[in-house]
Amino acid sequence: MSWSTTRIALRLRSAGTASAGAGLIAVMIVVGALFPAVGHSIGRLHVSTSVSNLLGGADYGTITGWFRSEIAIFYGPLVIGGLAIVAAAATTAGEEEDGILALVLAHPIRRSRLVAAKAVAVAGVVSATALAVWVGLVAGVAVGGGGITLAHITALSVQLAFFGLATGASAIAIGAGTGRRSLATGVAAAIGILGWLINSLAPLVGGISWLRYLAPYYYYAGHDPLARGADVPGLLVLGALALVLTAIAMAAIERRDLRG
Amino acid sequence: MSEQPAISARGLSKEYGTERGLFELDLEVQRGEVFGFLGPNGAGKSTTMRLLLDLIKPTAGSARVLGLDTMADSVEIRRRVGFLPGDLAMYPKLTGRAVLDYLADLRGGVEARVRDSLAERFDADLDRPIRELSTGNRQKLGLIQAFMHEPELLILDEPIAGLDPLVQRSFHALLGEVSAQGRTVFLSSHTLSEVERVTHRVAILRRGRLVVVDSLENLRRVAIQRMEIEFAGPVGVEEFRALPGVTAASAHGTTLAIAFAGSADAVVKTAAAHEVLAIHPREDDLEEIFLRYYASEGER
Repeated sequence: MSWSTTRIALRLRSAGTASAGAGLIAVMIVVGALFPAVGHSIGRLHVSTSVSNLLGGADYGTITGWFRSEIAIFYGPLVIGGLAIVAAAATTAGEEEDGILALVLAHPIRRSRLVAAKAVAVAGVVSATALAVWVGLVAGVAVGGGGITLAHITALSVQLAFFGLATGASAIAIGAGTGRRSLATGVAAAIGILGWLINSLAPLVGGISWLRYLAPYYYYAGHDPLARGADVPGLLVLGALALVLTAIAMAAIERRDLRG
Repeated sequence: MSEQPAISARGLSKEYGTERGLFELDLEVQRGEVFGFLGPNGAGKSTTMRLLLDLIKPTAGSARVLGLDTMADSVEIRRRVGFLPGDLAMYPKLTGRAVLDYLADLRGGVEARVRDSLAERFDADLDRPIRELSTGNRQKLGLIQAFMHEPELLILDEPIAGLDPLVQRSFHALLGEVSAQGRTVFLSSHTLSEVERVTHRVAILRRGRLVVVDSLENLRRVAIQRMEIEFAGPVGVEEFRALPGVTAASAHGTTLAIAFAGSADAVVKTAAAHEVLAIHPREDDLEEIFLRYYASEGER
């Protein structure tokens, strides 16, 4: 491990992460504030199952359903996944495309150690964002009148953090393996979005319902952490996925030519 | 260990496709040498340097740096080598000081005293973000990071690019000191004039293939020499043009400008048949011979 590399990577992402975190907290407080006035009047939407699944149940009449649909099902993973992907792609393939890695790797450090240090930095970005989600949810739920336990808020934040780690690790693996920032960003984002679609729509088609088990998103949201608490098997799957993808990244970058 | 060459390459190749890359490079750079690696853009200079540091892998052949295998011992090599990349890039949001702190931490064993004295020597601005620095000021930071751990071998890709004449002079003086300490410098350039004052030997690379490796002294020996001879009265240009080795001769009033290859004996003896007021030797035109090596077979 190279802690100096981790520190530099975190320093470069700190402003973006802080502003995104502040934005998340503000959004969740506003969402909480809207619930008493808007949520009750909407109630449970009577829409098709597919649309309902895409909206996380479309139950706007309860505080749990309100936050599930407004935050947990799409906005939360979008922000944390997006930040993880941008950080991961920038710190690996981005630095390579910019020519910075050619200077850094002329120093006595193994490429795999450098990638590991950068993965830790991405984990730091994800953890800080998940903490912002937790703070935002606590504040938002309180503003909305309460009704979700601290344990379930924590469960969602942790589940979200692990989803961010796995998503970031996929971008690190592609970035370290190819040295192409756009590929790392595009493919990792596609995996995340497809996962949400598959998790929502695959159960409606009998023959392909098993596909949801292939989507990292399922292990984040499939157990409904906001209503049912932490899903330990899901956390284990996401954690293992993050570790395996990081290991693949470390091995892949050792074997190839540096670009640029 | 110390008697092994600083750099040795055997059949080192990196093929990117037809006529692109580096082909079967055999090269030895001795310890304590300042070695110029010359060639036009795209000749394979940067590719060679990147191969030596294991930033890219060879498609054939092998190389050793400070007696160590470039692939198996790359981390140890990089510990003992200072490198300046040709397309130097650093973190644009960070200050020069922050970048140097990071690189020093990554490397270990960097004395603040050495770094500070280099910064002072190059008059480097360490407190502004990299993105606000000119190319020359960024290059100064690149040089500082390459020299700051006092490495046994310096691999410098186009080190003079963007430097103003004063800093160039400081850089050349530094190379002299490094060489006097028995350390080795392997530097690339696409023009001879940038390196002729500081290098002991040069290699010329063209289209990925080594064309010549020789001392500047030997290159000068076969270079075109030029001189101007002032006579008391007009002389016939034709008798000089007819001399062996003369490539050009022209008269302006009573002054003869002449260019020739090899010995000056015939020219001087022919001039001595006339009353000579002064002889002005002109700089050996190494650039000319350099360009001749650069030119493709068909262009010669």
